[in-house]
Amino acid sequence: MKFINLLKKELSELVNLQMGIGLIATVAIFMILGGVMKTTINDAVDSSKKVTINICDRDNTDFTDGIMDAMESVNNDPDSNISAKVNIIECEGNDYAAILADNDISSLVIIPEGFTAALDNKEQPELISVSRMTSAATMSNIDSGSDSAIELIEQCISSTIAAETGMDEEQYKLMKKPVILTENTVVDNKDARISPDNILSKIMMQNMLLPIIVFVLIMLTSQMLMTAISNEKIDKTLETLLSAPISRLSVIGAKMLAAAVVALLNAAVYMFAFSVFVSGATDEVTETVSSAAGTSITVDQAMEQLGLNLGFTDYLLIGVQLFCTIMICLSVSIILGALIDDAKNVQNMLMPIMMCAMVPYIISMLADINSLPMVFRVIVYAIPFTHTFTAVPNLMFGNNMLFLGGLIYQIIVFLICIFFALRLFMSDKLLTVSLNIGQKSKYKKKNRKRGIQSDDEA
Amino acid sequence: MENVLEVKGLTKQYTKVLAADNISFEIGKGEIFALIGPNGAGKTTTIRMISTLLTPTAGDAVVGGHSIISEPEKVRECITYLPDEAGAYKNMKGIKYLQFMAGLFCSDLEEIKKCIDRAKEICQLGDRLNDKIGSYSRGMIRKLLLARAVMTKPQLAILDEPTSGLDVINALEIRKTIKRLSHEEGMSFLLSSHNMLEIEFLSDRVGIITKGHLMVTGAADELKQRYNAANLEEVFERVVKQNEVH
Repeated sequence: MKFINLLKKELSELVNLQMGIGLIATVAIFMILGGVMKTTINDAVDSSKKVTINICDRDNTDFTDGIMDAMESVNNDPDSNISAKVNIIECEGNDYAAILADNDISSLVIIPEGFTAALDNKEQPELISVSRMTSAATMSNIDSGSDSAIELIEQCISSTIAAETGMDEEQYKLMKKPVILTENTVVDNKDARISPDNILSKIMMQNMLLPIIVFVLIMLTSQMLMTAISNEKIDKTLETLLSAPISRLSVIGAKMLAAAVVALLNAAVYMFAFSVFVSGATDEVTETVSSAAGTSITVDQAMEQLGLNLGFTDYLLIGVQLFCTIMICLSVSIILGALIDDAKNVQNMLMPIMMCAMVPYIISMLADINSLPMVFRVIVYAIPFTHTFTAVPNLMFGNNMLFLGGLIYQIIVFLICIFFALRLFMSDKLLTVSLNIGQKSKYKKKNRKRGIQSDDEA
Repeated sequence: MENVLEVKGLTKQYTKVLAADNISFEIGKGEIFALIGPNGAGKTTTIRMISTLLTPTAGDAVVGGHSIISEPEKVRECITYLPDEAGAYKNMKGIKYLQFMAGLFCSDLEEIKKCIDRAKEICQLGDRLNDKIGSYSRGMIRKLLLARAVMTKPQLAILDEPTSGLDVINALEIRKTIKRLSHEEGMSFLLSSHNMLEIEFLSDRVGIITKGHLMVTGAADELKQRYNAANLEEVFERVVKQNEVH
């Protein structure tokens, strides 16, 4: 009854209107971002399907006329994978900005004078490509018109040379694509007829969510518990609470449980928001990747075949590890929160936890930790949160010993941290010791001037 | 007189500082006892030990027949503690705060209701109890906290600087409440204060503490006579100087 009373109070302190607005805003922002990404990707995909080729022929020879005819015929060729609209532009001079502006186009390919002559002399002819750059955003600058034009021109030249050398169409096709690549991927002792790139793209998309959730969880639980404890110390409500007929274990237990519940609620909302964003941003791309590879099985089927899909036990183990991570955060936060008696220092004290979460988060995104040099690997694995970031890939690729080792290590770290946390919370030090970086010395000096010896100093 | 508190040789040694040295005194039922002393004299350390917040290095204190060493949870059922400059949860409404604190002392809903009614009567905050504590003035917070400290009718209420930082009117109201509860309801109080006028008005007996030593205890009039002083301030000055000579 008393514990429930405490828990209700802790929850009411943590769950407030501000938090509600923050969460709703997060979901809204990610939904908008997802929508924007979807629109941008759709536009890019559409524009890649509707290519506009702007070409200017300054050579005006029979050969270049043939290239222009070949380009125009692309529109009517059902076998061609390029659907192109060809605009023939008349332009002179080298003021490319003016040429693009005058013709209201964003890209242009110019066949310069002397193009055919260079070919006749068995030299590599020059081809000029002009593209307008409008922003630094990757998606905004996608315009495949010039690339398609260049590809077509190169095809024309190749086929002309092939014809000149007496090569027939079959030989020409063989020369263009001498092999048919059948890609196979092997994981452990299973294999699937798919490119590893496709598997990797899918895993990256699936896994981009979990590290973000883990990072948010670590930061939120730590900050909430540290703030809850330090605020009680600063406002001296902790002394009132501890002098009430309730055990210190109940006080700290209620705080830990409330922080964990609120952090999980936040994580669930973040997960929902991110999934909305990710589905908006990646659905179209996933489809494109698997179909472009021309494989007989889908990426999902290949993942199943390779044993890369996680099962119920895997998710359960990931849940256990996530729980261990939260418990480590909570126990470390008790220690740090108990040492603060100034609100400004909460952010400073959060730094060590933030660094311990940030380092494995970034490294796990950029590299395979197992492929790092031994010294770095030991350092990174010594950070308990690393094992949470590597949990999914470890389970996916059957590195069960590494996963279990990490889990056992996290349990040991948690037991050590909670031992010291409870010892601190049960002791006098909770009320007599403070670790206010850069402030204690000032406080001491001030008191020494006054000739005062305080309890805190002791 | 039946003793509610018996302090026997209470000592607290921090790493470098002896904050309380062999402190002994007792408080009878319905008595107001005040600990006075300069900053860092050991008042708060002594009070915190009696409130079971700090563990004594040596000695013991018995509250309502329970030892602070062996039965701290029983002791906490007999006392309430109001720390110096204590705050309350700013986002909580006054009434919710009283409900929360009453819930820590009582398990029965009827008892909780009685405590809240009593606190409402003592704090006299009326409808403002439905407002968030963050909107209260310092005086209002102190009244709320005092009401919280006495609503459960503890055998001993420990108040560290009960009127510090308050204006004359608010301080006077709080003093009157303490005096009334002591005389009419037989509640015992252990106070600490710098305000000699307040101590003289409120306390039945005082103890002067300096550098961790409880130098002298007795009624204000008795001490004034013993030290040939016109008021308690002069007594305090002489006791502190005497300790400096020693």
